Amino acid sequence: MADQKTLGERLAEHGVSRRAFVKYASWLGSLMALPPATSRAMAAELAKAKRQSVIWLSFQECTGCTEAITRSKGPTLEDLIFDFISLDYHHTLQAVSGEAIEEARHAAMKENKGKYVVIVDGSVPMKDGGIYSTTAGHSNYDTLMETVKDAFAVISVGTCAAFGGIPKANPNPTGAVSIGDLVKDKPVINIPGCPPIPEAMTGTVAYLLSFGKVPELDHLGRPKAFFGENIHDRCYRRPFYERGQFARGFDDEGARNGWCLYEVGCKGPTTYNACATMKWNGGVSFPIQSGHGCLGCSEPDFWDKGGFYVPLSASIGPTAKLVGGAALAGAVAGVAAAAVARHRKSSLNKG
Amino acid sequence: MNADLCHTGPAASLADAVFAELAHALSRLAATGEEMVVDLRSLPFGPTDLAALSERLGTGEVTCTLEVAGRSEVRETGFAGIWWVRHLGDGDEVAGEEVHVTRIPEILSSHPDDVAFAARRIADAVTASPQEGPTAADEEDISRG
Repeated sequence: MADQKTLGERLAEHGVSRRAFVKYASWLGSLMALPPATSRAMAAELAKAKRQSVIWLSFQECTGCTEAITRSKGPTLEDLIFDFISLDYHHTLQAVSGEAIEEARHAAMKENKGKYVVIVDGSVPMKDGGIYSTTAGHSNYDTLMETVKDAFAVISVGTCAAFGGIPKANPNPTGAVSIGDLVKDKPVINIPGCPPIPEAMTGTVAYLLSFGKVPELDHLGRPKAFFGENIHDRCYRRPFYERGQFARGFDDEGARNGWCLYEVGCKGPTTYNACATMKWNGGVSFPIQSGHGCLGCSEPDFWDKGGFYVPLSASIGPTAKLVGGAALAGAVAGVAAAAVARHRKSSLNKG
Repeated sequence: MNADLCHTGPAASLADAVFAELAHALSRLAATGEEMVVDLRSLPFGPTDLAALSERLGTGEVTCTLEVAGRSEVRETGFAGIWWVRHLGDGDEVAGEEVHVTRIPEILSSHPDDVAFAARRIADAVTASPQEGPTAADEEDISRG
């Protein structure tokens, strides 16, 4: 349960000084591109804040989102978020079970009425009365609507919660829908990804905690700080795209030389996420850097967009393939390939 | 393939631009006390740019290592008032890298709330630690001369 001590007081009791807030806010401010003055304000506000009660609901999901957010190895900067929140309910992490944990959920809702945050991973099945996923004898729909009733805000983590994700993929046998399809009277923040970048999840919670308001969102309900930029625009392979140098298989010269993966189906040009800048596993790498195209997992219906290895421009395929093939033959054709690339870029912008 | 090899733009010019900005900021600090922070991670800096900027700024008299939620390194550059601050996160990965134009970076100062908390703790320690004063045995020794 949330207590009345401030986060600053709590950490001080554990021998951690206010410097931790300065460092955390500096890190988070950099991730979210906040002005340094705002980061400083965030440090002060975090120290004064109370622990945020969080109720985490898991519906039709694979637990990958929880894996992502808890994967840090030691008591470091990234883990501070777990000192900032009171995780009052979480199927995978909670120690108790049965009626006791359901009582804990209700107690947290009552004690923190209007202030608690609900995090949801997984979509909600609506077909056949929602029988395809239930907890404690209740459908996911009933649990969701009961829990969000007095929440301050709802955060949909993962593409399943944000957009329906894999359960919603054709033919959507369970009638899966997103949280935003159901919750209309509360702010719903979408942190999509399969899984989402951990910093996008923790950063959004810390922002809510510091400023008591929802960060600026894009047209799909995603925080612009993390989803405001296109992966393609920030990709380190972008210069190869501009020069018309594409890998056309995963074992050809282009792949070996690290050229652009557009032709092998990379969805970077239509995907908004921070993978290319924040990267994964403590900034080690991201899929494109590992040699595989982006799947576009932070976009709605990414599973049903025609195949992970089909180029985005497949509809203009025959011409593009002809010119693209010739591009391998010499510099002049390379210019032609670049022209096609520019055309594709233009088409994408229009589309 | 090394992602850093594909960094675009001339490395030296970006470092030079930030260096010039820092020069202006330092003159403002000297004249008015106005502070500034440059978040190097928000700029399209590669390792070459960082090295170039670091070399131009040089090294000053103060180098500090902090152990707070992981390690942090703070060093004064060759220009008093310009500090290089590096925060490390999980696995000692660089989580944040900034240049502060200030008399002393905020993270080095003791926060007033921490000072107040420490004052209470040390007062409690004084009350709870009679062994710090002369013990009965000490007094007996003293009386024996």
